[in-house]
Parts: sequence; structure tokens; C-alpha cells
Amino acid sequence: MVKKTRLNSRHHEMGANMAEFGGYEMPLWYKTGAKDEHLAVLRAAGIFDTSHMAFVELRGGDSLALLQKTFSKDLNACIGPNKLPIADKRCVYGVFLNEEGHVIDDAIVYKFADDNYSIVVNAGMGKGIADHLDNYKDGLDVKITDYSDNLGKFDVQGPLSGLILKSVINNPKEVFDVFPYFSHKGHFDKSLVNSAEVTLKNSNIPILLSRTGYTGEFGFEIFVSLEFFEEVWDLFVEAGRIYELTPCGLASRDSLRAGACLPLSHQDIGHWPYLNHPWEFTLPFTEDKKGFAKEFVGSSALLNSDYNYHTYAFAGSDLRKVNAEEAVVVDENDNEIGKVLTCATDVGADWADGKIFSITSPPDSGKPSDFRPKGIRCGFVRVDRKLNIGDRVYLKAKKRKLDAVIVNDVRPHRTARKKITSMP
Amino acid sequence: MKEINELNLPENFLYTEQHEWAEKGDVVKVGVTDYAQDQLGDIVFVELPEVGDSFEKGDECATLESVKAVSEMYCPVSGEVVEINEALEDEPGLINEDPYEKGWMFKVKVTSADGLMDKAAYLEMLKGA
Repeated sequence: MVKKTRLNSRHHEMGANMAEFGGYEMPLWYKTGAKDEHLAVLRAAGIFDTSHMAFVELRGGDSLALLQKTFSKDLNACIGPNKLPIADKRCVYGVFLNEEGHVIDDAIVYKFADDNYSIVVNAGMGKGIADHLDNYKDGLDVKITDYSDNLGKFDVQGPLSGLILKSVINNPKEVFDVFPYFSHKGHFDKSLVNSAEVTLKNSNIPILLSRTGYTGEFGFEIFVSLEFFEEVWDLFVEAGRIYELTPCGLASRDSLRAGACLPLSHQDIGHWPYLNHPWEFTLPFTEDKKGFAKEFVGSSALLNSDYNYHTYAFAGSDLRKVNAEEAVVVDENDNEIGKVLTCATDVGADWADGKIFSITSPPDSGKPSDFRPKGIRCGFVRVDRKLNIGDRVYLKAKKRKLDAVIVNDVRPHRTARKKITSMP
Repeated sequence: MKEINELNLPENFLYTEQHEWAEKGDVVKVGVTDYAQDQLGDIVFVELPEVGDSFEKGDECATLESVKAVSEMYCPVSGEVVEINEALEDEPGLINEDPYEKGWMFKVKVTSADGLMDKAAYLEMLKGA
């Protein structure tokens, strides 16, 4: 039985093309179309229903101990260049592995207090992660609660997100004073002191506001109690009208995240050893990269692994794609060397003078003055050998054979990490 | 998504099960239906055949690239390609905006146009889908 989010009837009313994703009927795109939704997030702002995602809460004095035992990031050394311990109001991206070192799911861990953490995972993964943690909590003082389907969540992403937020919350000045990437304020749970920190004008509904997202652009994820979910979504859609806030579906979410080199769980990371990929910053490697700074579920499997496949980001010369599920990666002699994990088109980016530019690239970046991107294919490949940045491979499916250059990054000049005071 | 009663399906065209259309006649324009463009979403690139290519009905003849996926178009009639819609090269989105007029894909000198549906039959098929 396919589940529906609370916003399902609104998606239909807005003319969305719907499809099943992660067990939920979700919008692929609205009448605007996926291309303009993608561009809206780069130019103005987009709003995404993400209430299919799951939220698992940990309460109790040993919450950190349980996370240290199971989460890939070392939460005692994860914040900033000096690797400080996770602090209240901070959040951290990483993965949960099984004993074989394969990915169960990727996640963002939120710290609210020493005895209060939460984990945001993908659609349908709340129970799986809650059960997984339960298996490792022996003797620890932790209560695990899966909030799946009991919490509202949507994302507002794009350079004008801050303006929209400021127009709907109480005390915008205080809230926006200091607000780094991967930090959060407030809480949707009225019974918590934190919940007074971010509330909506007039209604005083408390929200959890998180400076995170899945587009690579400046923006926020907003969590709200289910009873207020539709009301708060409507409020944002209405307040966003003057800023060209555009409802966005999964197609633009996918093309934006591919251009930002963010993995899709169970597609780009999954049932294979979590090694040799662009997201190794989520593993607690020691400086010599020979060991890990902490032991966690899956760590010994990774350390003893002889896994020698490698996952790389790629960018192609034009916007054409292959359907990942039917494509293979070949070298210049047409030898098959791997599989295509993701292939999407970032319609906000294109090549000029041998470099990739985005419509967000500033004028002094060298971007041509008449820059009008058609888009470039991008995504991830998993190959049976080590490649170097700049190496060329080909994506082959049916009659098509498309070039792909191994890259560190695709869409440049992204705004996600910009200082909040530099944004409108 | 368009409801079936919102679909634009011109009366005098012929349709296929794979959601292509063809005009009636000896030299006809062909393309994809309103239903197809709605399902595909924004079309960002079209690979057309070349003038002089010959196809049997059902042969892969063009590739439509939407934001969602890469899809093959199957030739709705048998015959030889005599003209292609070059406007699609710069503006593939014409297929979304106007799938029957500005968004036509290519012209075929028809040798056979068997096995096509009229509007009523195509509509019936869509309702059953």
C-alpha cells in the first residue's frame, strides 16, 4: 500500500505528476516543470514536501554513546576545521552501516542537549534505523522513538529562502544573527525549552529550523508538528509568492543534488562496502588514513576489506543522459569497467572555456556575459579501478555512448555554505 | 498530471499504443501525443532521425530526453523520412508546449500506415490504462 503525505491533495490540486518513491506517492514535478523548478532554486527559492523522510529521536544520558557506537562520524571530533565535539544546535551528516560495512542509510544527526539527539533518515527508513539502534543499546540509557509519519517536514531552498523565512517568523533578527551551515534552532515539540526559539508570527507555532538541505544551495529544512503541517506549508507558499517561491518535485530535487555531488541513499551508496567514494569525510579516518579514530558498527569490516571498486562523480560534455539502470561504464577501448549509479542533467550548469559555470556563478568568476546553460549530465559511476580527476570514461546504453569526465565537483559557486549575513 | 479529459487529442490524427501520432495522408508529420509529453515532463533534448532514413512501423526512430529519463520514440508509420523539425534542436520544449503543431518531429513519405488507432480508440486505450 503506497502511503500519502498530509500534503497529497495539495500536490494533486497543484497539478503535480505523481510517482511512488520510498513507499510514498510523491510529486515528480508540478505544472512549472522540473527544469524551471531546478532553475527556481538556483535563482530564487523552491519548496519541497519532504515529510516522507523519517525522524528518530534519542532521549537519555547515553544517547551520544549509542551514536558513537553506530554512526560513521566521530561526534567527539566533527565540527569545523579544529574537529570540535558536536555541540547543541549543531547537526552532522554521516551514515549508519551494518556489520559488513554496507550502508543501511545516510542520516543527519541533530544535537539538542546532552540527553536529546535526533536522526533524520530517508523515506521508509525510520523503523529500520530505530530497530538497528535498538540492537546495539544493551545496557545504555537511551529511549528510541520513531516519529515516521508523525511529523511534518518541508524544505525551502534557494538564495531567497532567508527572505521568506524572515517574513513569517517572530524575532527574525535574533534567529538569523548567527546561523552557520549544518546548525539548527528551535524545536517543534512545545514541551521543550528550545521550542520558544523559532516560532511563527501570529500563530506562535514552534518549528525546528535547520540550515541544511539536499540541493547544494542556501536554504532550510523545516520540521513542524503534524497537527500544524498543512497550515504552515500554506503559510510559506503564500508568503513566498512575492519571492517566486516555486513548489518543486523529486525530479528537480534529484538533478539539483546530482549537480551538488550529494549521494542518493540506496542508489549511490548502498549494499556494498562504504569505501572509495567522494563522501569519505563521513568516515573517522586517522590522519595517515590507515585506521579509524573510533570503533563503530561496520568499521572493522571496512578496515579489513579488500574491496577495490571506486565511486566517482562525473560531468559530461552536454545535457544528454543514459538511464542509469540500463547503462554501463566503458573505457576508451570499449571495455566494461563499471556501472552508472546516477545520471541526471544539471540544467543550471554548462561548460564555457573548459570550465563549468552555474547561473549562480558571480560575474567575476569568468562566466561569459551571454551565459545561457543548456545543462550538463552528471552523477556517479562505480568502477573496478582507480581513476584520476580528469580521466575520461564513457556511459553506454543501447545506441548511446556518452562521454564523462571524472570530477571533484560539478555545479560550482553553490550557495549552501555562504555566510548567512551575506544572503538577502 | 493531466486527467484524461484534459488531454488534447486532435480528431483527425492517428495514434499508436506507444503514444505517437501521425497525420493521415501520403506524406505525413509525426510526433508524440499530449499524454506522452505530460508523462515525460520537460523535454530537454531530442535526437531526430536523418532525412533519407527508412523505418518500419514500430522501429526506434528518435530519442526524447526529459528531465526524468531517456525514452525512445517508435515510428508510428512505415516509410522514409523526408523532413525533420529543426526547430526542436534549439527548442525541444516545443513538444511540451504544442505537441501537434510546433512540436511535430519529422515528416514521413508513407509506405504503410496500418494498425493505427483513431482518437476514440486511443482514448479508450488510455482510459483502460
